[in-house]
Amino acid sequence: MKVSSLKYLLKEGFKNLFNNRLMSFASIGVLTSCLILTGAALLFSLNISSALKSVEDKNSFTVYLNDDLSNLESVRVGEKIKNVNNVESCSFYSKDEAIEQWKDKLGVLFDGLQGNENPLPNVFHVTLTDLSRYSETIAKIQTIEGVHSISDRSETAEKLTQLNNLVTSMGFWIVVILGCISLFIISNTISVTMHSRKLEISIMKSVGATDSFVKIPFMVEGVMIGIISAITSILLLSLVYKTLTLSIEQVIPLSTIPFLSLLGNITLGFILAGITFGLLGGSISIRKYLKKKQG
Amino acid sequence: MVEFKNVCKAYENGTLALKNVNLNIDKGEFVFIVGSSGAGKSTFLKLIMREETPTSGEIIINGRRLTELKHKEVPYLRRDMGIVFQDFRLIPKMNVFDNVAFAMRVVGANQRYIKKRVPYVLELLGLKEKAFCFPNELSGGEQQRVGLARALVNNPKIIIADEPTGNVDPRMSFEIVSLLEKINQRGTTILMVTHELFLVKKFPKRLIQINKGEIIHDSKFEEVHYES
Ligand SMILES: Nc1ncnc2c1ncn2[C@@H]1O[C@H](COP(=O)(O)OP(=O)(O)O)[C@@H](O)[C@H]1O
Ligand SMILES: [Mg+2]
Repeated sequence: MKVSSLKYLLKEGFKNLFNNRLMSFASIGVLTSCLILTGAALLFSLNISSALKSVEDKNSFTVYLNDDLSNLESVRVGEKIKNVNNVESCSFYSKDEAIEQWKDKLGVLFDGLQGNENPLPNVFHVTLTDLSRYSETIAKIQTIEGVHSISDRSETAEKLTQLNNLVTSMGFWIVVILGCISLFIISNTISVTMHSRKLEISIMKSVGATDSFVKIPFMVEGVMIGIISAITSILLLSLVYKTLTLSIEQVIPLSTIPFLSLLGNITLGFILAGITFGLLGGSISIRKYLKKKQG
Repeated sequence: MVEFKNVCKAYENGTLALKNVNLNIDKGEFVFIVGSSGAGKSTFLKLIMREETPTSGEIIINGRRLTELKHKEVPYLRRDMGIVFQDFRLIPKMNVFDNVAFAMRVVGANQRYIKKRVPYVLELLGLKEKAFCFPNELSGGEQQRVGLARALVNNPKIIIADEPTGNVDPRMSFEIVSLLEKINQRGTTILMVTHELFLVKKFPKRLIQINKGEIIHDSKFEEVHYES
């Protein structure tokens, strides 16, 4: 296609977008929401995965002691744990220490929970020499008297995985539904433009414009809706993500993935998705229009 | 140029619009098509433009067999035709120049050629002064001249006009047919449907009369008599 034609078709596409700005705006709004939700679910999932990985990589776990053990008895249990084969270190955290730490973080909520009111158990943080003998070592520690339970990393991992699955599947359906709504609105927006340009289209056909010449401005309109939505949603998502991760990190010592490291892939993905939606919406409306014309 | 062989056209609702039409129009001819309303005149033109396809028979336009024409080739068939509409079909938000240039742009003509060609055609049709007027600032006759300019601008081999003077006062009608005659003298074939007998009488051209889907008279082969 000639450069002059291409320029003309692009210009026509922009004109369509602008002349029909109210509906274009609605389309951009819905597609943006769809992309933001997709991105949010994706970011959540990625963060959970990285948290999972850090849980699985740790060769440490927590041993909870029976509630009725005195500090002295607890230290004895600690000796026994240290003597178990494959235990590298074993450090004691009394429940008093633990409650102080929580108080530092969350303040007044924990006032009045000292001493006998303290609901937390005494614990040992245990690290292993050889991670591959994890379950065998845990089994041994479990048999020591005074040991109540062991924080099983697989349990944490399982909970995280469950949460991840829940968010992913819910996110998936929300995105599918919003995606359908987006397509519906985009194709309707372009249909409105097509009907407002009925006269032009009929003249184009009568003077022998090719099908692609008739269609391209409407495709351009769709693609522009897609690209604008993609850019808007990237900006909004980065803003929300940064604020959210910052406030989460203040409460939980969790290292989140920095947005910048994902920006490239997200931008690429969003723009491709935007273009695909725009093209799909465009072709749906063109097909609908042509069908009506024939009928 | 235009050849019909045993062409029948029935619409989907069962209306038989054309029955067994046979005819031949040569390059450079000027043909009036007349007949009462509903006779099938528009259908005849739509078959030529390939807006409709025949139910049976064969149509050959400019060497193209329309029954074998692929959908993708239709635009190229139309580029040989200039189509003039009864209702002008000018785009209201474009001025005269752009309305005419539009026909060139959408077939991919380059800007430099458009800038040369459009003024030339406007001049030819006496519209030079009106180039930057909008359709609503023009009289019916002037609007139809713009329609004619648009039909002409891509240098068609044949002009197809379905009652082009239907919305124009008689004096202007006369002027439009004079312009068509001028275009015809440069070698362009003209096919014009009309209701107005005075035009047919003023311009002695080949006359084809259609009635109830059949060609009942053709002045090329016989004298046409007017009762009415
Ligand atoms: N799209 C259509 N569908 C069904 N019938 C049609 C259609 N177009 C025209 N007709 C019918 O075909 C006949 C011929 O119509 P037309 O060619 O428009 O006549 P004319 O132009 O001579 O007035 C008429 O009876 C008309 O009602
Ligand atoms: Mg008619």
